[in-house]
Amino acid sequence: MGTTAKGHKRDAERKPVSFITRDMEEPRMRMWRVVKGAALSVAALGCMAPLASQAQQYSVWLVENSRFMNVPYGAFMPDRAFVPGSTSKFNNINTVDLPVNVGVIKGMVNGKLEVVLADCGWKQQDYLKMTGSAHWAPLPDQLKLLGISADQVTKIVAGHGHWDHAGSLSDFPNAKLYIQKKELEGIEWALNYPHPRISATNVSPGGCARTPGCGYPPKTLDEIYGKVLSGNAVIVDGEMEILPGIKIHPAHNAHTAGSQLLEVRTGGSVGTLVFGSDVYSSWQGIRDWMMANPQSSADTAQQFLAYEKCYKLTNNNMGNCIAAHEPASYTKDYPITSNSWVGINGSRMAEITLAPGESSKKK
Amino acid sequence: MQGQAVQSAQLPRRMGWKAFAVAALVLALGAVAAYALQRELRTKPQAPSAAAAFTAGLAMGEQHAARALSAEEETYAAALWPIHSQVKLSAVRMTFAGLNYKIEHNDAARLKATVEPLTRTFTDAAQRARRIQPPASLADAHRTYLEAIEHYTDASRIMIRVADDGREEHLITAHKRSEQASHELLKLSDVLWPGEYKPN
Repeated sequence: MGTTAKGHKRDAERKPVSFITRDMEEPRMRMWRVVKGAALSVAALGCMAPLASQAQQYSVWLVENSRFMNVPYGAFMPDRAFVPGSTSKFNNINTVDLPVNVGVIKGMVNGKLEVVLADCGWKQQDYLKMTGSAHWAPLPDQLKLLGISADQVTKIVAGHGHWDHAGSLSDFPNAKLYIQKKELEGIEWALNYPHPRISATNVSPGGCARTPGCGYPPKTLDEIYGKVLSGNAVIVDGEMEILPGIKIHPAHNAHTAGSQLLEVRTGGSVGTLVFGSDVYSSWQGIRDWMMANPQSSADTAQQFLAYEKCYKLTNNNMGNCIAAHEPASYTKDYPITSNSWVGINGSRMAEITLAPGESSKKK
Repeated sequence: MQGQAVQSAQLPRRMGWKAFAVAALVLALGAVAAYALQRELRTKPQAPSAAAAFTAGLAMGEQHAARALSAEEETYAAALWPIHSQVKLSAVRMTFAGLNYKIEHNDAARLKATVEPLTRTFTDAAQRARRIQPPASLADAHRTYLEAIEHYTDASRIMIRVADDGREEHLITAHKRSEQASHELLKLSDVLWPGEYKPN
């Protein structure tokens, strides 16, 4: 630049001809620079605005598929075990009711409607008595209240393969299942282990005693296998971005062998949400750094590392960690879920964020 | 005087108009209040507060409480349990044989080698189950249980046909049988072993 003869000539031609003295020129140039800077800033903002509006935006709801009633708090969170007469807020609650929460994420991606479920609850009503459940409702009917039909669901990310999280896969015929390879390997490892107390799917009548295979009844595994047979399954090995701004993160051994988290960058003011399935069984557990929903296939350290992951992904906004069984769900005590209402059979729903153009479904 | 007469004649007319307006207003307000009241009464049971639903849930939970088994029924359930454990384990192993075939190796001979022993496990389980005498109250449940094992046995036999002709449709047919059996097992578990599956 300016080293060629032509360049020199150009520089010479551009030599300013002015009657303004140096002293007079300084403020004028400063003014010019300010004006130029402001103009450039406006132009830059103008260029960025369309980019911002092009960023993928998603609507997100949380749906209570059912509720486990009267679960001893200590069985769910050992650090919250009930001590009769205790005045400590950590030990003065005997039993809790635990929702079975399903995340619903909806957005238009390249002109195509995408509906992603974070877990899909369960549908065999026979579990009702076994688990002391109430407020169960068919997930497809619950989705109708959000204006979504079952055949519009495009993806189901199973946080893990337990019956209450992967139990209604066949209700969504067009949905692709995303499950960790490690999850399937973990179940198979337990099944093939030579010691019958470890290989059993259950060790004694009336209780699964948290054996590694206890949460996987034949019916649920048939649901998973059905997706594989129909070519609607993606076996994930670690991380995977499944849509712009929606990413799977492994959380192996944090609840089950192949547990996974689902990061959702909503593109809205709510920011990034992280659905943790049972790795985040309890939101209060994440807040207070207490383990929840212990499993024999899990490792407390891994669960804590997964808690840390949520803090990192949400830029320390742990309020955006979405728990699958948080007892305070749909109340002001779990603020992200507090914009809630009652749906079918007393089950609850929460509206977390709406993409532009999406109307509120709150009744 | 004449002016006064005119005034007094206009007064009732004006009063009448005002009274009419007030009455209309009162009526309109009454109608709005009645509509609001009716709407409140109608929508409240449909959309109770979360707190009310929470309390109602306890009653629903109680409704779904399991019925206690009689001593005879308990004996039957205990006798069936070891068989049930074997059946479940074999069912899940059969599912994994299919999963591994589809996901990992696509080797029909390997699939057959894994599933064939499971057929024997199912037939053995069926024989053992037939030897148990159920109480009259669980006769239907017992029959259903035997049918479920039958479905699993069929599923395993159908599955290994892939090794004979290479047609994967057998897997789909077998899967349907297996699903049916799994669902029946679950229904029976609900009666015989309440609490078999815990909140997870």
